[in-house]
Amino acid sequence: MNRRLISLCLNICVLGAVAVLAFPVVWIVMNSFKVAADVNTWPPVFLFDPTIENYQVLFDLADANATNYGTLKIEFLKPVINSTVIAVGAVLLSLIAGVPAGYALARYEFRGKDDLAFFILGFRFAPVLLVVIPLFWFFQSVGLYDSYIGMIWVYQLVTLPMIIWLSRSYVEDIPLEIEEAAAICGASRPRIMLLIVLPLLRPGLVGASLLVFLLAWHNFALGLILTAKNSPVTVALLKLLNPGLSFYPVVSAGLVISMIVPIVLILLGQRHLERGLTFGALK
Amino acid sequence: MAVRKNPRKKKTTLFLWVSLLPAILILGGFILLFVWGFYQSLTDLRFGRARVDFEGLRNYDYLFGRSRFWDSIRATAVYAFTAVAFEAAIGLALAKLFNSGVVLARWFRPAILLPLVLPPLSVALMWTTMMNPETGVLNYFLSFVGIEGFTWTSKANSAMFAVVFIDVWTFTPFFALIVFAGLRGISPEIIEGARINGAKAWGIFWRIELPMILPYILLAALFRLIDSLNQFDIIFGTTQGGPGNATDVLSVSAYFTAFQNLYFGRGAAMMVVNWLMVLISAIFVVRLWQYARNRVS
Repeated sequence: MNRRLISLCLNICVLGAVAVLAFPVVWIVMNSFKVAADVNTWPPVFLFDPTIENYQVLFDLADANATNYGTLKIEFLKPVINSTVIAVGAVLLSLIAGVPAGYALARYEFRGKDDLAFFILGFRFAPVLLVVIPLFWFFQSVGLYDSYIGMIWVYQLVTLPMIIWLSRSYVEDIPLEIEEAAAICGASRPRIMLLIVLPLLRPGLVGASLLVFLLAWHNFALGLILTAKNSPVTVALLKLLNPGLSFYPVVSAGLVISMIVPIVLILLGQRHLERGLTFGALK
Repeated sequence: MAVRKNPRKKKTTLFLWVSLLPAILILGGFILLFVWGFYQSLTDLRFGRARVDFEGLRNYDYLFGRSRFWDSIRATAVYAFTAVAFEAAIGLALAKLFNSGVVLARWFRPAILLPLVLPPLSVALMWTTMMNPETGVLNYFLSFVGIEGFTWTSKANSAMFAVVFIDVWTFTPFFALIVFAGLRGISPEIIEGARINGAKAWGIFWRIELPMILPYILLAALFRLIDSLNQFDIIFGTTQGGPGNATDVLSVSAYFTAFQNLYFGRGAAMMVVNWLMVLISAIFVVRLWQYARNRVS
């Protein structure tokens, strides 16, 4: 009896914790379907007639003057596309440069190997602004300011160290005997890597790519400083706040869009995500 | 998987260096920028002015003579250390709860990941709308327990609490994930043995579990401390350093110094100080971690 009581209490505690974790997101989703009058009112409204007007305003699909927000023009589709292009580009470049490096760190012994690995991990915690202050200068003078290519390169600061660490951890999971067998049969190193290791790595790399896409999608400071027209979605969100309180429902709709992408990614690769979020420590 | 030393690993070859080169080139570029930024902190660089003079430590001298800069250092430290302390305590409780094996804990375990996958800036804006003193849903809940009109980010004396609160909500799950891994690593035989010898649940937690997961807690604390000392998104998205300078942490302060007031050299100097704070704190936590790990093994 006592044991069942404890188990009941624990289950209630779990529900409480889940409520605290999930309520803010649920609330924002609710707000994104409310009219402005239902958002800026006291007490807060929990039951309401849903409307998709906020999303129409967000993507500029509503007739001018037909909404409650007047003629204010919002361009949110462009930032979503910008974020996607930059994040996908950053992931691809990181895979090309990072997977061979991760393989080398997993399979070769050389002096200073562990130092190099931790040095690479250290980039994850680099003082971004200290790098961006000279970079702003440099991008302005070579014409990379506000360009996709410039952003994809600078996002490597965030994405490349993670890809290297994660691919290293996945290579270490592959039994060395498979590669040795291939080597005995006369396959060269590049061939082993391309034809044997890479196919075995594929599930791991898909997971790592999901996580790194997520990190790129999260980024705000780099876009804030280094872009103007080609801003990522996080910078566009901040601009949505400018019209003030009455615009909160549209802000909520924007927040929902910025959050849907990561939530879909969790559902696709939860196991990989945990490993990635803990730098390969959890397997 | 255990790390195993393998004597059969191949010696250094051309292939090794070709594999490492692209990554080293890209990351090397950032090292150059980092050094360049450090150099700029020693100049009077201003945006839009061609002339740049090297002036040694004058930016630092100027900053250290201003109380506002010391306030920023204090705000950075208060923000990071209180956030990490709360995250460690709540994260430990959360990990214990979700490790208890009850049915809902197994079902809802993926929910822990939710705050971690959302963009920190979106999280900051989400809480901003909820923390509105007049119409926010948080004050609605608080009114049930008799607290009316809490000011959250709108007043200087509650703003730091509000931003730390957002950081704690967002990153406590990170602690929970890592501590969870630590708890699963403790073999059931040890716990069972202690129980047979008459140890109570609390005794097992304090004497056996806590010392064994302490290295995990400190490792999570290291990662979180570095991130919190550098935190920009959450504070920029909510208070932008205000009201007054209540939450004016170094990274936000440096942003406004460099990109709004266009004192690039001085902004770089602030970031160098921020970086030194990160470095000193990180070394301290790494030492603690080594001590805790040696005591366990």
